[in-house]
Order: sequence, then C-alpha cells, then structure tokens
Amino acid sequence: MAEHKRLPFVQTAWAVCAREWNAAFDSALAWLTIALAVLALNATALNEFFLAGRLELRALFETLPMVLVVLAPALGMRLWSEDLRQRTAELWLTLPVRTGAIVLGKYLALLGLYTLVLVGTLPLVILLCQLGDPPLLAIARGYLGALALGAALLAIAGFFSTLHAEALSAFVSAAFTAFVLLALGDARVMAILDGLLPGSGLGSLLGERVALLGAYQELVYAPSFDWISTLLPVLRLLLVTLLFLWGAQRGAARNRA
Amino acid sequence: MIRVEGVHKSYAGTHAVAGVSFTIQPGEIVGFLGPNGAGKSTRLRMLSTYLEPDAGRIEIAGIDTVRDPLGARARLGYLPEHNPLFEGMRVRECLEFLARMRGLNREEREQRLGLAAEQLGLAAVLQKRVRECSKGYRQRIGLAGALLGDPAVLLLDEPTHGLDPLQVLALREFLHGISPGRAILFSSHILAEVAAISSRVLLLHQGQLLLDEPTATLEQRARAEGINLEQHIVRVIERAGGSTRLG
Repeated sequence: MAEHKRLPFVQTAWAVCAREWNAAFDSALAWLTIALAVLALNATALNEFFLAGRLELRALFETLPMVLVVLAPALGMRLWSEDLRQRTAELWLTLPVRTGAIVLGKYLALLGLYTLVLVGTLPLVILLCQLGDPPLLAIARGYLGALALGAALLAIAGFFSTLHAEALSAFVSAAFTAFVLLALGDARVMAILDGLLPGSGLGSLLGERVALLGAYQELVYAPSFDWISTLLPVLRLLLVTLLFLWGAQRGAARNRA
Repeated sequence: MIRVEGVHKSYAGTHAVAGVSFTIQPGEIVGFLGPNGAGKSTRLRMLSTYLEPDAGRIEIAGIDTVRDPLGARARLGYLPEHNPLFEGMRVRECLEFLARMRGLNREEREQRLGLAAEQLGLAAVLQKRVRECSKGYRQRIGLAGALLGDPAVLLLDEPTHGLDPLQVLALREFLHGISPGRAILFSSHILAEVAAISSRVLLLHQGQLLLDEPTATLEQRARAEGINLEQHIVRVIERAGGSTRLG
C-alpha cells in the first residue's frame, strides 16, 4: 500500500476553486447570469451619462445592491445545493481533505465569477476617462465597496446552499436574507421601524449594526478619502463574509450527520 | 484492517444499525448481504466516515474514524451506492482531480491514472465527459477513483448495480486480482454475487447482523440440510423473525 500524503489546505482550496471555475462555465447559466448582470449595470450607468449628463458612476453603485440581491443567490446557490442534489456531496466529504478547504475553494470560484461582472463594467471607467477627468479615487472606493458587499452576499448565498438540496429554495432563502440585510440600512425602513416602537431606536440600531447597506454606502459615498473610513466598512463586510463561510462549512459538514 | 465494535446508528428513533461488531483482515473480500433497507449502505457510509456512528467505534487500518476522519479517508477507497461523479468533467480530468485531492504529485498521478486506465479498460473514454459514459464505464470510473490512493481498505456499495453479466464477471476477477494485502467490503442484495465474489458473508436484516461466516461454510451447511444456499439464507432470516414474503 502507498504512503499517505495530504494536500495542504491552501492547495486543496486552490484545486477545488479551479475545478469549480471550469464547472461553472460548463453550463450556459453562468454565462447568462453574468451577461445579464453586466448589461443591467452598464445600462444604468450609461443612462446616467446621457440623460443626467453626469460624469460619474454613482448610478452604477446605487443599482448594484439591488442587482446583487438576485445575482449573489443566482451564483451562490451553486456552492453546495448541486452537490446535495447530484449526491456528489458524498464524494466530496469522503475525500481526505478538510471540509473548510472545499467550501473555501468553491467560494473563491464564485467570487471569481462575480469579479467578472465587475470587470465587465470597467469599460465605463475608460469611457469616463476619455470624456473628462473623473474622480478615480472615489471610483476605486466604489469598486472596493462593490467587491466587499458582493463577497458578503455570496457567502450568505453559499451558506443557504448548504441547507437546501433544491437550488430554488437556496436561491429564495438567500435572496430574502440579502434583501432584508440591505433594506435594514435604508433610511425609510429605519424610520418605519423606529416609528413602530417609539423610543426604542430599533430601526436605527438594526440599520447601524446589522444592515450591510450602511457599510457599503460609507465606502461608496464617502466625501473624502482616509484609511480609517475605508478600512472599517471593509472589515465589517469581511466579518460577515467570514461568519457565513464558517456557517457554510458547518452546514456542509452537517450533511454528514 | 477494518474493526467495527458495537456500532449504533438511528434515524428519527429507528435503529438503522444496532450494535454491530466485526473485523475484516487484509486479503479478505467480504460481502454485506441483505434485503433493501437492511442497513448495508448506512454501515458503509459510517465506515467511509461520511456518517458518524451514534455509539461504538470504527477503525480503518488502525485509525479511529471519528477521531481522525482524514487519516481514515486517506487509507480507504469508497465507491458510494449511486456512484456520484463530476458529470461535466472529462474522465481523465475527473480522475486527476480525485488523485490530486489525495495528495499525489504529478508523476504519481500520471502513473496511477495509467495503471487504473489499463486495469479497468478506461483508455477509450479518458477524453470523454463523464456524463457521456455508459453505466458500465461509470462504475469503472468510480472504482478507478476509489483505487487511486492505493487504499488498504476498499468499500464498494452495490458495485455491480447496472452491470451486465460479463461486466460482473470482469469485476469479480478484478477484485480477486487486487485483494492481496487489501481488506475489501462490498454490499449487494443478490446472493449469487456475494457467494461468487466474497470469501466471507455478513448477513444483515433490519439493522442487525444475523450471520458472519465464510462462504464455504455456508455452502457446506446448505448442502448438509439438503437445500441450496439461497434457501439456507432465507431460513436464517426467518429464524430471526424476519419475513421473506412480499407484502
């Protein structure tokens, strides 16, 4: 019998990521999802250029959270639901590798797909540069916010995909959760919740502590650049990402019980 | 090589596996025999570390499957009941990926893959996608995947499911060829298959182990009673209070 070696955690995650990346493009669904998202985001921003005559990407970053409510679950439902449905979860979970490395690898592939969507909007930045002198630092912060918010919502979608063998159920659960976590940060929702329980400050509390929209908006709409106001919202979104990735790892392992 | 001691597993209050103990030594091919629902797959899933036992202890090559599941997995090859495979991958990519997950370097992967392709006759489908392969090839791909790590323990859940008689015969010869130094446990609900392939039979019924005997002893007993092996097994099940009638 052969001596028994183990693939290190990072190499495992990387190998899984490469496999999942290739597998994603095996069906037309990933292409279609990415293409529709790129189209929606570009159309919104171009509308702002030509109708409002503003040389900025504000409309793109305003639309992105709503697009992500659908896009993140559409991409993230692949993380584990399909393996439960096709029974490949049994294959994954009997390989001599850590469940966390499998989940991380699959997640990184999803993050790669989402990054493709953001790359698909870069022609807008080039267009802005051709037309004038856009605020590049603010745009860079916007993209950082977009990446961090997308990463968090993908982790949430990935977590729900470990709980449902039906991709549609995973999609609906993730989309609902993403919507709630974003909506709680909306000023109108906060005001309604504050009004429902006067004096409790519930809406404001949830908006500040729980909602993801606040952290994203701090990044995207900050009037000027400084490291603290850039890093704090990124860390908040990163914490949410790590929390749900941990949950996804537990969820995937739970299927063994 | 495989040691199972007092293992229990329940689902929603029902005992799928109740207090089972047995040991399988290197070189043995042991058949898990039992009707559908006897708990064969649950046992194999526990041995493969996919399921954890509620109580009891399982060792694979001396390693406790609960304390060190990764260590146990590194020493076993497992072909699950429905033979799940990565459908969209090409056969070569799929096997290479599984070999990589087992920590094999490029050279080892090439060598093991070449060996598996030769032993299991996979050369013709290596460039095909898994989903394009026939049932017989899929079983062989699953078996190749289970053997890539050169495991000390091989667990096969219904390995002959969907194979034609010639393929079953080929599988039987293949398993005998690779059995030296390896503990092989396979499940089936077809007595003739178990009798033909295994040197020992574990008969399961309603979560319990009714019988653990060498195949040759069972055949002798059946002959002594003037009945065939199938009738002997039916009697064992009926003596244990089980019904072998439909409905």
